[in-house]
Amino acid sequence: MSTPTHFKSGREGRGAAFVADHHGSEHARFMRLTSYALAPLGILAGWYLAGVVGLPADGVRAAIGRPFPALALIAFGVIGMVHAREGMNEIIIDYVHDPALMEKALRANRWAARAIAALWTLALMLIAAPR
Amino acid sequence: MDSSGSANADSDARGAQRPLSPHLSVYRPMMTMMMSIAHRITGAGLYVAMALLTLLFLGVGMGGAFYTAFGWLGSSAIGGLLVFLITWAIYHHLLGGVRHFLWDRGLYMDPKGREALAIGTLAGGVGLTVLTWIARSLAG
Repeated sequence: MSTPTHFKSGREGRGAAFVADHHGSEHARFMRLTSYALAPLGILAGWYLAGVVGLPADGVRAAIGRPFPALALIAFGVIGMVHAREGMNEIIIDYVHDPALMEKALRANRWAARAIAALWTLALMLIAAPR
Repeated sequence: MDSSGSANADSDARGAQRPLSPHLSVYRPMMTMMMSIAHRITGAGLYVAMALLTLLFLGVGMGGAFYTAFGWLGSSAIGGLLVFLITWAIYHHLLGGVRHFLWDRGLYMDPKGREALAIGTLAGGVGLTVLTWIARSLAG
């Protein structure tokens, strides 16, 4: 049985990062759920990435432009960046203690993760598109 | 709370004068601690790696000047080394996740078990990377 606590620390400045924000279990659950997808996709991504090194552009297109590798890599990129954004949020919260700077860093992380996932998808769609 | 939003401004002010409890500095490096740090570093590194690989794939997809600018990430020796390190980071981070998955279920939490799991993360990450690249070179 769990007992919810309504205590909220007002501690500010040094040490504030060690005060619980009550989002820990939600974060852990989110990371674990995305990991279930990323474990097999990560192995596939490692395999495909190792296969494109040293190839000219046409070779890369032939290697990962087929439907299955392209879809697997798109899924890896999108789910990976959702997972990475959450992970980077934790790093920012742990190390950036100035509230205004933290807010900016979290916002930058949100948009950077979205941009990488979108451009990653676009790039793989261009690679896989019929010529 | 007072008007500044602090629970107790006086105790906060006094707290700011005191040192924080030492954490990193009082521990000798342990495998579980090192692998925890490595998990975070590989995670942050993969964030940057995804941005670099996106540029490479955009170069391949768009061709022209874009490929001239970023194609080296896949075709040069330095690019090859980067991709090799990225595959290692993927596997190391993945196995770190498996370690946490087991610990979340209360498994391998005894001193020997957790040490073995941490070493397994390190060895498994390196082993999977080498195996992948050998298999890839054999597959052609």
